[in-house]
Amino acid sequence: MLTAQKISKSYKNNRRKILDSYEITIEEGEFVAVMGESGSGKSTLLAVLAGILDPDEGQVLLEGRNLNSMSDEELSEIHRKKIGYVPQSNFFLKNYTILENIVEPFLGADDDETILIDNAKRHLERLGIADLSDRFPHELSGGEQKRAALARALLTEPVILIADEPTTGLDTETGGIILSYLSEYVRAGHAVLVATHDDHVRDYADRIIDIKKETGLHGVSS
Amino acid sequence: MSRKKSNNTIRDIRRHAFYNACLLSTVVILSVMLFAGTVISASLRKGMDNMKRRLGADIMLVPKGSKEKAENMLLEGSRSNFYFDDSIYEKVVRMDGISEVTSQCFLKSLSADCCSSEVQIVFFDPSSDFVVGPWIETEYHQSLSGDSVIVGSDIVNEDGKIRLFGQEYTIVSQMARTGTALDSSVYFSLDAKEELLTHAEEKGSFLTEEQKKSGILSSIFINVDGAHTTEEIIDSAHRTIGDIFDVVYPKQLHESLAASLLKITGAVSGISIAVGVLLVAILLIINSIIMKGRKQEVALLRVLGHTKKDLIRKLLSEMGVISLLGAVSGCLFGALIVIPFGRYIGQSLNMPYLGPGFADTMIRFLIIILGVCLIVFLSSIFFIVHTTNIEPYLALRREE
Repeated sequence: MLTAQKISKSYKNNRRKILDSYEITIEEGEFVAVMGESGSGKSTLLAVLAGILDPDEGQVLLEGRNLNSMSDEELSEIHRKKIGYVPQSNFFLKNYTILENIVEPFLGADDDETILIDNAKRHLERLGIADLSDRFPHELSGGEQKRAALARALLTEPVILIADEPTTGLDTETGGIILSYLSEYVRAGHAVLVATHDDHVRDYADRIIDIKKETGLHGVSS
Repeated sequence: MSRKKSNNTIRDIRRHAFYNACLLSTVVILSVMLFAGTVISASLRKGMDNMKRRLGADIMLVPKGSKEKAENMLLEGSRSNFYFDDSIYEKVVRMDGISEVTSQCFLKSLSADCCSSEVQIVFFDPSSDFVVGPWIETEYHQSLSGDSVIVGSDIVNEDGKIRLFGQEYTIVSQMARTGTALDSSVYFSLDAKEELLTHAEEKGSFLTEEQKKSGILSSIFINVDGAHTTEEIIDSAHRTIGDIFDVVYPKQLHESLAASLLKITGAVSGISIAVGVLLVAILLIINSIIMKGRKQEVALLRVLGHTKKDLIRKLLSEMGVISLLGAVSGCLFGALIVIPFGRYIGQSLNMPYLGPGFADTMIRFLIIILGVCLIVFLSSIFFIVHTTNIEPYLALRREE
């Protein structure tokens, strides 16, 4: 479903290639975890696979379509409907309530707001923060914010959810709620890709990709 | 029940209330300044053009020692009285080199039943006049008899009558606005002078001994024919009527006033440009701060599936609403300042001031609104495009 073909990436201020001709395929119904120490390139890999960071070389295909050659409009449509992304930090629109933060970014001229609100409430309910929907982001704890960000990424039921450190810094119980919900999402036929330091993820993932900082990501993932 | 997306522009503006309030205030000040500045400049220029037309005589003879009063009357319309013996008029009429000549007599500070303030009464000779005539806005077809008058533009009387010293006079015509105190003058035929003075005395109005005399004139207006110079005519007048007069050169007065106007409008323009540049710089700074503060929002929305076009449209809509609201409010504030107080501004500058008409005001209104919206657009578009072009992932990483 999501395939990276020989992707390479380095940053201007760093000569080292974070990704070097890396290849990976993630199938429907698969829970993949990328694990490794800080600075090893996990977040970069996720950003490239999510189509929010262009690789220097190679390409990323979603359902056979090359994300890197799409127009802005086509890629936006992919991000609205097909790829859900949870950034490492909890970014929210200031002065928007949690419910507005989840719904409004996805509300197009042709969308039915009622359906989106119902979906958002359902995810919030399942993640245990339904009562916080009218609060503002700064009124929530880190764990609550993380769950709200997850609900936002899942709103349109994307075919793949890509989450950067979804449980890092959370207590075991909150982390468990999130991982259980992700497993359930995978069982419903979707794919999940997470980058994490959290060893608990090993209990839920179908496949683990370990990265060492010195070597980075290269070759083909097993 | 299903619900479609509503227009969130106003809500988005309120969500960034502080900086948008700063932006709005700047736009309002810019609009007030542009509207008020251009209206004042245009009104002074219009007053000046009007004066040029009003100062229709080459020279004006006034009693010796009255030159300053006469000049003030011409320039500012201030009320005055000074008198000649009217026998000199016939002598001047017979002089060579004169193409047009007429006389006027002024009575100042006589209260009228019509008006809250005092009015100046001007007696003129309709048969020879070339000074008052061009100022008559509504044509009158009847002769100006003893019981009819022409009034200045500020004298409003719905029933077409005006009461002076207990007598009722028919208003046969009204003068165009001059932008000076002459707008509250009442114009009589010279033939009506004796009768009016009698009524004034009966009503107990104060008249000087000089004013009670029957044969008096205040000024003689002369246009010189093409074959003579004004100096030749003045020399001839000295020989004919003696050294009893001063000469006022209305057209030269206009030139000196025009020079003053140029200085004033230059200063207004200079200040406007300086403040305008400062305000545009402030706009640029505010826009830069706003967009810097919204980088994270823009990056997040890009990640969540908003196109650059969507975001540019959204941000420009907000700017559009703010600039439109600011420009309209600013023009309205500007209008509240210059329309009621315009004349006082002219008076404080000692300049004739003719405010714009309704159509002119509306056109100016629209032009300034469009201009201000364009300025806000140009001052924000670079920052908006720059912010939406930033790679969203990297922008979010920098915000961590």
